[in-house]
Amino acid sequence: MMADPSSAVVSSRVAQENAPSTFAGVSASTALAAEVDDAIFEIHALDFYYGAHRALRDVSLKIGRKEITALIGPSGCGKTTFLRCLNRMNDLIPDTRVDGRVVFEGESLYAPSVHAIEMRRRIGMVFQKPNPFPKSIYDNVAIAPRVNGVKVNLDDLVEESLTRAALWDEVKGKLKASAFSLSGGQQQRLCIARAIAVKPDVILMDEPCSALDPLATIRIEELMMELKSDYTIVIVTHNMQQAARVSDRTAFFTVEEADAGTRTGLLVESGPTKQIFTSPTDPRTDDYITGRFG
Amino acid sequence: MQRRRQLTDRLFWAACGLAFLLIAAPAISVLVSVFHQALPALGWQLFTHTTHTNGLENAILGTLLLLLGVLIVAGTVGVAAGIYLAEFATGRTEKMLRFFSEVLAGMPSIVIGYIAYLTLVVQFRWHYSLLAAIIALSVLVIPYIVKTTEVSLRQVPTSLREGGAGLGMPRSSILGRILLPTALPGIASGLIVALAISTGELAPLLFTAGSSDNLPTLQLFNHQVPYLTNVVYTDLALPGARAHATSAAAGLFSLVILVLLIAAGRLVARRARRNTARMSL
Repeated sequence: MMADPSSAVVSSRVAQENAPSTFAGVSASTALAAEVDDAIFEIHALDFYYGAHRALRDVSLKIGRKEITALIGPSGCGKTTFLRCLNRMNDLIPDTRVDGRVVFEGESLYAPSVHAIEMRRRIGMVFQKPNPFPKSIYDNVAIAPRVNGVKVNLDDLVEESLTRAALWDEVKGKLKASAFSLSGGQQQRLCIARAIAVKPDVILMDEPCSALDPLATIRIEELMMELKSDYTIVIVTHNMQQAARVSDRTAFFTVEEADAGTRTGLLVESGPTKQIFTSPTDPRTDDYITGRFG
Repeated sequence: MQRRRQLTDRLFWAACGLAFLLIAAPAISVLVSVFHQALPALGWQLFTHTTHTNGLENAILGTLLLLLGVLIVAGTVGVAAGIYLAEFATGRTEKMLRFFSEVLAGMPSIVIGYIAYLTLVVQFRWHYSLLAAIIALSVLVIPYIVKTTEVSLRQVPTSLREGGAGLGMPRSSILGRILLPTALPGIASGLIVALAISTGELAPLLFTAGSSDNLPTLQLFNHQVPYLTNVVYTDLALPGARAHATSAAAGLFSLVILVLLIAAGRLVARRARRNTARMSL
């Protein structure tokens, strides 16, 4: 587990935005078990293909329940592709294929018996650019529960979700206003509220702060720390300080270029964030986090 | 260099101004001349009398009835086909549907009218009738509706589809609750164009609607339908200033319906855009 979020990690975050050292954000957290004990996802030898092109090779990883797992690595290393394998989002892209196994809560995610749409209600997603629907703030949060026919008071659910996403106080007076009247950071928190409203077990975040300014980024990071008491979070980030600040475990991906110029992503190593950032076992990880590469 | 740039700039603006004039001048001149010629016939009797007694009541109602029919028939078929093309069709069915839609779009309206005459009016024995006219007009305008619906749906950002899918929404809900409302302004403008074309068409109606001095009925078969462009056409061929003025008045009312349609389209687009205006996707 990370240290209390209100400790040095949070209070010194603003300064760390421009901090030169990659390690600055690693808190003196209590030791995290080197191995994942209670895994919500177990990925075995995952290969992913766009047509004939293999974009991911032989990824095996366990993702701990109610932990924040960060996926880092250079552009093109397949970390977003990997993230989208975890809720079968890649199903939407024609001519793609998955080999290997993704086990979620003991069930194979790609088994024919698994209903991808129902499964996505348990594994929510937040995207790189805030993508609220062109509807009111209220309707953005209420749309999925309405479709799913949830038997609860929608007003309560909307308030609860927006509160959980740390947005309620800013929008409670203008729930009928367009979602586009919000700032980028607020829109992203609205998207998180929208995901929470479905009551998922997992929230996948694909570079959720890359379109946001530093202050909005801090809000989202604080929110993630709060959410992990109830949710498993997997976050793809380009920002290594962010991975160091928020995550319990880090998985480092890299990209291999074959002679023909085809690029394939692979997992180099994974482990407790502190260990990855301070004493990585693979020299490629060390090169990346110290800025010699990428 | 400086002078040359200024010269190019002025030439460009002159060309733009000329283009504007070339578009605006004919439109204004048509409006003015139609209004001028219709002036002697203008009066309340146009709304209270049928073409039998120098009014236009039956023709205006007939045209509106035809438009309603086109909206229902062509609107349903066109929007459905557009949705199918944009969201579901793949491979050969997609190619074939698109090919036939394009062939239909290029078909002269008089040919469509003639084919409708041979099949619906003669073969099916519907005679000159409301349904034959509505179907002929619908076949004419469906390709426009298909195209605009498909394009509007394809323009909805992928991020919205993925946003819906990420929430575990089924495809039908994503389509109905996210994609279609977002694409609505585009679809509405396609429907408006279709109705505008229908308002001004004569050729297919000559073969299918027939002609009538009586008020239109809701009978689908065997009853001829009065409509404005028919009055424009027939009264112009009649001798006498009165008939010519009525012809111009019928033309004027076609234009009025057109303007109202355009205004309605703007209204729909603005209402729909209220939520999408600041969409930064």
